[in-house]
Amino acid sequence: MAATADETEETTDASEPVPRPAPRRGPGRIALAVSVFGELLITAGVLLGLFVVYSLWWTNVIADRKADRQADKVREHWAEQQRTGPGALDTKDGIGFLHVPAMRNGEVLVEKGTGTDVLDDGVAGYYTDPVKATLPTTGKAGNFAVAAHRDGHGAKFHNIDKVRKGDPIVFETRDDWYVYKVYSVLPETSKYNVKVLSAVPRESGRKKPGHYITLTTCTPVYTSRYRYVVWGELVRVEKVDADRTLPRELR
Amino acid sequence: MYGWIWRHLPGNAWVRALISLVLILAVVYVLFQYVFPWAEPLLPFNDVTVDNQ
Repeated sequence: MAATADETEETTDASEPVPRPAPRRGPGRIALAVSVFGELLITAGVLLGLFVVYSLWWTNVIADRKADRQADKVREHWAEQQRTGPGALDTKDGIGFLHVPAMRNGEVLVEKGTGTDVLDDGVAGYYTDPVKATLPTTGKAGNFAVAAHRDGHGAKFHNIDKVRKGDPIVFETRDDWYVYKVYSVLPETSKYNVKVLSAVPRESGRKKPGHYITLTTCTPVYTSRYRYVVWGELVRVEKVDADRTLPRELR
Repeated sequence: MYGWIWRHLPGNAWVRALISLVLILAVVYVLFQYVFPWAEPLLPFNDVTVDNQ
């Protein structure tokens, strides 16, 4: 039986006379180098493809899971405090929920800080640096500036470009609904433009102190060359009732 | 490269295919769990905040 390619190693026996010095099987050096180079290129392509899958899909899966768990915890805290009577507000897991009907993304938990460790959990974070956000719960005039991811990690502000002037933004805390109305949109600004977070964001057209909210995220989608900014102004504050009836903007 | 790995896997074609699949899944796991989370902050795709740095 003739030796097939797979059996060459077994058939090369020293006692048997070999007709020719065993010719090198397979391709030559250059062909080999080219084929390895080609395989490396394919590998690089597959790697990049996997990275896209990771950043646009997998990070969302992880982040949504974490955000849901944290949101449940916050709601549980609130319910517990309602039973035991009002105590100190526990804000470790988040201070409240942002509802932006125009973005069609349900509720977004808001936590302290805008570092990747916070935002990567699929939540929105309020700024502590470079400008400290003024929380609406303090009742003081100022700017409640928050950031969230446009893509990946929950992509909570993915549809920020769907928000138009006049759209409501509702911030829900344990005791109150803070209803804001969008009055200005800045579709593109430098990432160094920290003035958009000022207590009185002049670029939005407002000159007097007031109760503002600022949403920032990156733009265009899938990159972070610029920042997208949406400003809103507080319209009214509604007390949360026993059934947590939604304000009419969310119904 | 891949041919070399294939030739050095034990068993027949089915066993080799199965081992290859396991190897691929292991590589994907390591990438998703360790390599990509490490690489992501170093790439300029997902910075959402304004800052003065």
